[in-house]
Amino acid sequence: MSETTATKKPSKAGMKNLFRLLPFARSYTMHFIGVIVLVLLYNSASVLQPFLVKVAIDSDIAVRHPHYSGLWMISMFYVGVVLLGVITNFSQIILLQYIGQNIIRKIRIQLFSHIEAQSMAFFDKNAVGRLVTNVSSDTETVSQFFTQFFLSLIRDGLSIVMIIFAMFELNVRIASYAMVILPIIFIISIFFRQKLRDAYQTTRTRLSAIVSFLAENLAGMRIIQIFHQEKRQANRFERLNKSHNQANVKEYGTSVMFNRVLEMLGNLAVSAIVWIGGIAVMHHSIPFGTLYAFITYIRQFFQPINAVTQQWNTLQSSMVAADRIGGVFAQIPAIQDAQSPITLDTVAGEVAFKKVTFGYQPGQTVLRDVDFVIKPGSFVGFVGATGAGKSSIMSLLMRFYEPQEGEILLDGQAITRFTQANLHRMIGLVQQEVHLFSGTVIDNIRMFREEISEETVKKAAKTVGAHEVIKKLPQGYQTMLQGKGANLSMGERQLIAFARIVALDPRVLILDEATANLDSQTERLVQTGLQAVAKNRTTLVIAHRLSTIVHADQIIVLDHGQIVERGTHATLLTLGGFYAKLHEHAGTELLLDDDAKEELKV
Amino acid sequence: MKNQNKDQPMQLLWQFMWEKRWNYTLSVIAIILSEIVYVQFPNLLGEFTNTLQAGRLTSGKLAYYAIALMTVGVLQVALYGFGQYRNGETGRLFEYQLRKRLFGKWETLTTAYFRKKSVGDLLNHAMTDVQAVREALSGGMNIFTNAIFLLLTTLYMTFTTISISLTLLSIIPILFIPFFVVWFGPRIRQASKQVQEALSDMAEFTEESLTAIRLIKATANETIDTNRFSRRVDTIVHRQLSMISRSALFQSFIPLMGSLSFAIALSYGGYLTIHGNIKLGSFVAFTLYLAMIITPLQQIGFVIINFQRASASLQRLQTLLTVVPEIDDPIDPIPTQTIRGEIVVALDEYRYPDAAKATLHDIHFTLSVGKTLGIVGRTGSGKTTLVNLLPRIFDAKAGSVMIDGHPIHQYRLQDLREAIAYVPQDGFLFSTTIKENIEFGRDHATEEEIVQAAQDAAMYDDIMAFQEGFATQIGERGVSLSGGQKQRTAIARALLKEAPILIMDDSLSAVDMNTEKKILAALTRLRKNRTTMIVAHRLSAVRDADWILVLENGTILEQGTHEQLLALNKEYKKIYDLQEAGSDLA
Repeated sequence: MSETTATKKPSKAGMKNLFRLLPFARSYTMHFIGVIVLVLLYNSASVLQPFLVKVAIDSDIAVRHPHYSGLWMISMFYVGVVLLGVITNFSQIILLQYIGQNIIRKIRIQLFSHIEAQSMAFFDKNAVGRLVTNVSSDTETVSQFFTQFFLSLIRDGLSIVMIIFAMFELNVRIASYAMVILPIIFIISIFFRQKLRDAYQTTRTRLSAIVSFLAENLAGMRIIQIFHQEKRQANRFERLNKSHNQANVKEYGTSVMFNRVLEMLGNLAVSAIVWIGGIAVMHHSIPFGTLYAFITYIRQFFQPINAVTQQWNTLQSSMVAADRIGGVFAQIPAIQDAQSPITLDTVAGEVAFKKVTFGYQPGQTVLRDVDFVIKPGSFVGFVGATGAGKSSIMSLLMRFYEPQEGEILLDGQAITRFTQANLHRMIGLVQQEVHLFSGTVIDNIRMFREEISEETVKKAAKTVGAHEVIKKLPQGYQTMLQGKGANLSMGERQLIAFARIVALDPRVLILDEATANLDSQTERLVQTGLQAVAKNRTTLVIAHRLSTIVHADQIIVLDHGQIVERGTHATLLTLGGFYAKLHEHAGTELLLDDDAKEELKV
Repeated sequence: MKNQNKDQPMQLLWQFMWEKRWNYTLSVIAIILSEIVYVQFPNLLGEFTNTLQAGRLTSGKLAYYAIALMTVGVLQVALYGFGQYRNGETGRLFEYQLRKRLFGKWETLTTAYFRKKSVGDLLNHAMTDVQAVREALSGGMNIFTNAIFLLLTTLYMTFTTISISLTLLSIIPILFIPFFVVWFGPRIRQASKQVQEALSDMAEFTEESLTAIRLIKATANETIDTNRFSRRVDTIVHRQLSMISRSALFQSFIPLMGSLSFAIALSYGGYLTIHGNIKLGSFVAFTLYLAMIITPLQQIGFVIINFQRASASLQRLQTLLTVVPEIDDPIDPIPTQTIRGEIVVALDEYRYPDAAKATLHDIHFTLSVGKTLGIVGRTGSGKTTLVNLLPRIFDAKAGSVMIDGHPIHQYRLQDLREAIAYVPQDGFLFSTTIKENIEFGRDHATEEEIVQAAQDAAMYDDIMAFQEGFATQIGERGVSLSGGQKQRTAIARALLKEAPILIMDDSLSAVDMNTEKKILAALTRLRKNRTTMIVAHRLSAVRDADWILVLENGTILEQGTHEQLLALNKEYKKIYDLQEAGSDLA
């Protein structure tokens, strides 16, 4: 529902973006030609019909010696033409939709993988909701360009051309008179174009205001009721609803006006043709059948014109949508794989930061000269207040962002030399927040990778102590997780995340400890799981409880983006510095967060 | 109940149409007039042809026909345009009224109701269903009037002025059109529904993936994810094409039938003309009439489909609009009076509607005026449910909750809720300015009072740090507040309300300890004459409470003061040790 962003007026740039999507259509050139041929046949069939009646009138009916056989012939021929028209119309629709749907399919898949290839900086800036709109509804709107607008353009455009051609074929003079309506139609269309566009935009914007108001107020209905503000919110809704209604009526009025004016023009044109053609028939310069054909053609003429103008909104909205899609495609992923990457199947797991300086935006410094080496297989804790830079270090190691200065090494190789896919197979991440996907438990653990066997999954689950929990679920490993794992408790979700990591088996593990308040039994379960996961791996833990890292091989203490202390729990305590103070104030169990930081400042 | 609903949906529509009967009469008359005028068009052309054929056409006569045709053309368009516009306008009024009624209804419904329905579904009703009904109504009125009268007048004209046998024979093929439309319509709709489902499946998948993008990247799962995405896109393509082949067949059929009619008219009509049974002019006029009625016949079919679809929508809307609020004012409320805030809870059991297991059971306590109750316990122990019984967000059995000696069911909802200030867990705020959010609970608060509330909630400095201070827009189009800021703003909102009862539902969870201290200090000052209930995870928020309940599995496990509970040395003490050990040095 991001119509709010559609207020930007589609300009030439919008058209350009639409054309930029054309390469997706390239492999369907032959199909498009097929469509055009079918449209030509269909249109010929339509244009031929009045002509056949003219022939019937002028040479079989309205003559001194009428031909029954001629009339039959013409009628049969007419039926044949009609059948041709129906068949070509049918195949043209099917073919064009086939093309359109396949183009959109390609755009969607490419857009999706393009989005997933973006660096995390991209996701910091772009809300998920917007991106979902890009993938689902914007593409849908663009597909209307290929299926509806394009079809209308060639079918109706060709109709207009062919009708004009037929008229000139019948009688050049009367046809020339008929051409007078062209500039008139043009002027009327230009006049209404702007009005329709504005009215349409206003209505859409106001409608989306209603949608977001309702979404928010339905979610917060309890608050409205507790504070007894039903009337106030109803009044607010009334204003939005009313203003949408006004815009809506105005838009409708404009489009009724436009259509009726065109229709009136059509009627007037018929009268004019009767007048002009009537004179010609009176003077015997044309037969009556020709006048009949002219009258039919003039009426037919307005159908495609009307249809083309109906497509105006389609063009409008597909330009806006193409603009947005183009905007996403224009984003080159900030992090690119090396030209000739090295590939490693496994690593020992030595992690090193060499004088790394980093900020999310230029000019900002989140990390300064961070320098450390972690031996393969060791367990290292990172401690510090919120904003000290713990998460940033982990994001850099995953290459979610690039450091401004310095280098990050894995087994002595710069991580930029691996492909991201390779790197991410060697380094695993367990986040605070556990993401679960709609699917079975087993698929959630193996991340939908068919090559990971059920055995492996079960073994992984057993390792972290998730097996017992999963077995208690209604269908065990085949249980479908509903609504992003709503049927699991916080602790159970954590265990699944651990099992996932063991199943994927990376050599290096980054663990962002959950801060959630778990009950003591679950807490124990999770702690046991955590230890199982860390075994045999280089493990980097962002610790929120000092108890987690008491036995760590190394503890790195961060403050304001710099390493202030490092050592084991015991050495750091004897050092009597930052860590010792932290321990003194917080004990081993308190969550190390802003509160701890605040306390230290006192 | 079911049966009742079945005929009611249309009632919703009829009622509106009856209210607007004069509007509709006017527009229907305009449309009928326009048709009566319009059928003169072929007739005039036919007469013109006959005059021409007979060689009696003069310049004067020609001018007469041309001007007559123009007049017909202009009049028809003007009348039809007027009727069409009026119908559309009235239809949009219905759309507007429906949304208004829906929102009004939703405001009376309980949280239990919203727990069952997803916001997305409700939105869908308010947007799509309402629009479907409006389209059927205004489009239907236009087209139906147009089609029926055009058909009738056309048939009348051809019967009387041309030839009954020609008419009857020629219209045979096109008579199938409405049946065909009605037969095919639902099948296309079914296919289109499947397309919609596939589309929303893909959208949901995208959202799920992008929300978990870090995880997907961290597990190098992009390719697998894209493949899973592709499968969903393939389903869409497949379903789209199956829908399109149906609708293409449908779209081809109508012109086919029309043209077959025309072929009959051409051969039989030509035959009759040659035989002199009808004049050439009549033949010409007839072909034009035939062209005129194909569209309305097709449209009749569409109107029927639209109405079928709209009736499903109407049915859903009707169901929504007739839901009886589960919680409502008592028939005989006790008169409005000042509530002091003495709370007595004597709850045997509370279970959510449709729930098999009780969420709360055997909870008994009394809280005298001005006292503070702390409630602690694990996630899922029933703390939130318990405090929500008070403002009747969830409704316990009558008599189990009393305020000032009266069961809360005896108060008018307005009076009851007027007496309670509530801070929700998530610090829910509206996308307006900070000021509007804080004064949400009270209409005519002064500037000073708002500032004071912000200060008490330790939010004032944060607000002043924003460029526009209290006028700062929050939400999607403005500043996004942190969890703690949201909670503090929500606290300010509750404090400004100055109600005798204050409920804080775990609303300090995202606030750091220092700020928590400040807020608690302000509360101690303010709560002298307020009865306060504080739900918390951190014990620091409740240690100064007059009484503390420890909940587990929906019932009271321990209760007492902080000291008593520590001395008890059980669950409370355990939590205390886990949270506080070692931080008592200050």
